[in-house]
Amino acid sequence: MTTFIELLLGGLSIGSVYALIALGFVVIFKATEVVNFAHASLLLAGGYVTAVLHDDIGFWPALLVGIAGAATVGAAIEFFVMRRYRGSDHSVLAIVTIGVDILLITELTRRMGTDVLALGDPWGNEVVNIGGITLAQTRIAAFLAAGLLITVFLLAFRYTSWGVSMRAAAENPQTAALMGIKLGRVSLAAWAVAGALAAVAALFLTVFPTPGLERATSLAALKAFPAAILGGLDSTTGALAGGLIVGVTESLATGYQSDLSFLGRGIGDLAPYLVMVAVLLIRPAGLFGTKELARV
Amino acid sequence: MKLRALTAVVAALTVTLVGCSGKATEGKGDEQDKAGIKTGPGVTSSTISLGVLTDMTGVYASLGKSVTQAQQLWAKQINAKGGICDRKIELTVRDHGYDPQKAIAGYTELEPKVLGFAQFIGSPFVAAVEQRIEGKDKGLVLPQAWSANLLGSPYIRVVGATYDVETINLIDHLLKEKRIAKGDKIGHVYFEGDYGENALTGSKHAAKEAGLTVVEQKIKPTDNDMTAQVAALKQAGVKAVVVSAGPRQAASLVGVAAATGFNVPVVGNNSAYAPQLLKTQAGPALLKDYYIASSTLPIGDPGDGPSLLAKEYASQYPNDVLDNGVVAGWTAASIFGEALDKACDNKDLTREGVDKALLTIKGYGTEFGVTHDFSDPAAPSTRESVIMKPDATAPGGLKVISPASVSDAAKSFTVK
Amino acid sequence: MSDTTAAAAPLVTTAPAPGGAAAFTDRLRRPRTYAVLVASVLLLALPFYLDRFWLQAGLFAMAAAIGAIGLNMLTGATGQLSMGHAFFLAVGAYSYCILAGESSTENGHTLTGLGLPTWLAAILAVLLAGAAGGVFSPIAGRLRGAYLGIATLALIFIGQHVLFNAGSLTGGYNGRAVPPLSLFGFTFDDTEVVVAAVPFGSSEKLWYVGLAALLLSALFARGILRGRPGRAMNAIRDHRIAAGVMGVPVARYRAGVFVLSSMYAGLAGVLLALVFQRTVPEYFGMILSLEYLAMIVIGGLGSVAGAVVGAFFVSLLPQVLTHYSDSLPLVSAPGTGGLAPGEASRYLYGAAVVAVVLFLPGGLARLGIALPRVNRPKKSGEKK
Repeated sequence: MTTFIELLLGGLSIGSVYALIALGFVVIFKATEVVNFAHASLLLAGGYVTAVLHDDIGFWPALLVGIAGAATVGAAIEFFVMRRYRGSDHSVLAIVTIGVDILLITELTRRMGTDVLALGDPWGNEVVNIGGITLAQTRIAAFLAAGLLITVFLLAFRYTSWGVSMRAAAENPQTAALMGIKLGRVSLAAWAVAGALAAVAALFLTVFPTPGLERATSLAALKAFPAAILGGLDSTTGALAGGLIVGVTESLATGYQSDLSFLGRGIGDLAPYLVMVAVLLIRPAGLFGTKELARV
Repeated sequence: MKLRALTAVVAALTVTLVGCSGKATEGKGDEQDKAGIKTGPGVTSSTISLGVLTDMTGVYASLGKSVTQAQQLWAKQINAKGGICDRKIELTVRDHGYDPQKAIAGYTELEPKVLGFAQFIGSPFVAAVEQRIEGKDKGLVLPQAWSANLLGSPYIRVVGATYDVETINLIDHLLKEKRIAKGDKIGHVYFEGDYGENALTGSKHAAKEAGLTVVEQKIKPTDNDMTAQVAALKQAGVKAVVVSAGPRQAASLVGVAAATGFNVPVVGNNSAYAPQLLKTQAGPALLKDYYIASSTLPIGDPGDGPSLLAKEYASQYPNDVLDNGVVAGWTAASIFGEALDKACDNKDLTREGVDKALLTIKGYGTEFGVTHDFSDPAAPSTRESVIMKPDATAPGGLKVISPASVSDAAKSFTVK
Repeated sequence: MSDTTAAAAPLVTTAPAPGGAAAFTDRLRRPRTYAVLVASVLLLALPFYLDRFWLQAGLFAMAAAIGAIGLNMLTGATGQLSMGHAFFLAVGAYSYCILAGESSTENGHTLTGLGLPTWLAAILAVLLAGAAGGVFSPIAGRLRGAYLGIATLALIFIGQHVLFNAGSLTGGYNGRAVPPLSLFGFTFDDTEVVVAAVPFGSSEKLWYVGLAALLLSALFARGILRGRPGRAMNAIRDHRIAAGVMGVPVARYRAGVFVLSSMYAGLAGVLLALVFQRTVPEYFGMILSLEYLAMIVIGGLGSVAGAVVGAFFVSLLPQVLTHYSDSLPLVSAPGTGGLAPGEASRYLYGAAVVAVVLFLPGGLARLGIALPRVNRPKKSGEKK
């Protein structure tokens, strides 16, 4: 039972980090209808800035600069690349983000070389022990930070004028534009927010229990894809639910892999995708996604 | 009808073009130089070309970089001494970034131009060209991988103990130190693929010999967080853990185990450690109860071989990390050199000549703590392992705690 | 209407009028005929001149081109984003090995093989890849755009999991050996056959197999894209609901294209396996799928020529850069520090994807095709 609770809590905390990534993904999709495959590079950029700076300016300032840096990278992608393509087919735009991703990842991995970079976080490898259940402090921090950010984001989305214009743009871009909403600004903001969320996620993906930031860290962004899809690409609630489902599924499937050995060992990585396919078979628009009305 | 006319034109032109091809067979056979030494592909009167197929931009980048630079250092040293057989050694490096297509392309590109390969990273790729090596090419290939699956070919020769043998020695070390005993359970966290699976063969053999039970946890190279694995192993009540994965996974595993109060010894294969890890959060835990086996002394060993190499490598590449890849690369290159020396004495610098010369090498490599015997292609070049422990003060971050030895279980083990 | 549609449209609608003696003399006057003539002579004669490295690179490119044609029909012409192309390549490659291979023991795995004639195995492998696409069609038919893209990503992960774990079929991590193709008693393996004083190894022999396969696939795809199905596919891409209203059976078409594109991937997989001489699971990962997407964007979405041009660009670029890394500026030989050729090629094709969509909607293929077609009378325009 202890193991189960440990696995569950571990899954929830890593799941909340996935939710952060997925949320950024969903925000971009809502604002621009583009699937952003360059998300992995935003993640790596944020982590890299934090890792490089923390020795000189301390962890918290470095983290802030990292978040700002990733937000800037996101905004820059929107401003210099995506904006030029407005009106193109969305699949083509998705492929363009792949091109951007290849460029950024190549540059960042070349800079990082073969190093494993520490992020200098204050939690170290401390663990908390409650009634025989041990949980790393970083995981608790991740859960709290992700919870806080997601709450702030959802409130902003609901009540600020930025949130209103964003939702209006997602609902119907033409009408929103006619009502005086600047679509360019909305999508710029969406990319920046996604970058910032990815940078926070990068922090929690590279602190203890993982050794540090290195070139493969960006692969974690891949876990956010099934999270975003199974929740529903245009639903912020969906991103949250999807992230948690992916985290828990992965954690449980790994922890109980000896009982699942008939599926082949190492099923943990695959489990989120299996869940995603199963969900899509029943609900093609994800759990919370807007159902499509036209049927042809 | 009209289409046929066009086809005829194409055919006629093609035949004409084909007729004047320069690729037509010329004497590609072996030649003899003035000193009566037989030479073949990759050898001219002034140079011996060796290929290096490495990974400097992919998943094994840190290993590939150290190994390649160490081999370039070796070539430089040899050439400074006048080369081998009055010929300069020339290394042609191709970086495949762990991409099968580039690896195969690299082999195809270099194969006609080189005598053999002093390095080939990626055992699936070695396996992919195995047929060609054994069929026609016959060049000596020294892979930087220690899977027992690579044994058996007279041309592809593994330098060092294979993962299964190494794992048996690791478990034997734990038994000798009384950290585990008959009836205990041990965990084994291993990569999918032949590194992990070969190591698993070893741990299963050792477990059978010593009356242990193995609890398996298979992971992927992209897994970096070992929390779930540790939880599962803890639940199973294992008394020690073997890790046959990469450095990052080892660090996470050891770190999580220590942090959650799961205090068991962890032992890892030679690929499961990198000195960079000591700077991470897992550093203190790694220094405490983590052990590594390898078929060479660590680069930071005070012995003559490693310390000289460390000094020269550091002066050549001052900004790069000293790790065990340096020793591994240098050892492989120097064994290739030894084979070339012998082949030169036999006046046969052809590929077959080098292959044959390698078969006569026994008791080589003592300056790095382990002696290699290449007379049997079906056996690893050694069954000995050096057991080491992380050490923050030593260059390369490792110190020896038990010199090269072979356990009884490893001696009796039939490889493959 | 999007930019790409506008760009792809001329390719689809300007089909030359086939047949007739007048058409033939007309053809003789066109520079394009001579370009094709010269190109085919060159292609046929290449194995007599190039060494194995370049032939192999060319074969990789041909296989990539076949796969890219399939993906271009799916993503370019029908607008369905697929990230799972590598999975279908794997199905083709491994099915061929399993069907044609003999049961044996390799690397500690007991391998199952059916030992069928290799040509039959190749055909069945292509069909099996199509069947795999068919099995996925309940999902492919229901999902669109991003959903489909990411759902197909699942295929890669599931596929690689199976490839690594089903050791008795796939040989696990180290893969399994590929039986050489054998047609009418002629085996495409490494045993040397001397043709016009040139020794023919597997690459030289397979070159012609590759050419034939590519030609057939390209012609077939061109037929589809220029005909009624092609117009229906474009209609689905441009406006799905309108297409449905006009009577295009949208769901059936989408599933059908998915199956067809999988079969193309399967054929590419078989050819790749023959060139590699060993199938390795590592290869069939996400990077490969991304490369295919890059190919069709760089070459030009929705057209056969685009897929072929893109495939050659993406698969030859790293080889060329590596081969000439010693003499190229900015790129340095590996092991000397500086920009490695592998990285340089990634920069180049990443930038190419971004730049082509921006500055050259319609892809690189537009560059090549635009020139010889200038003089051509515009009579085929009204054929539609």
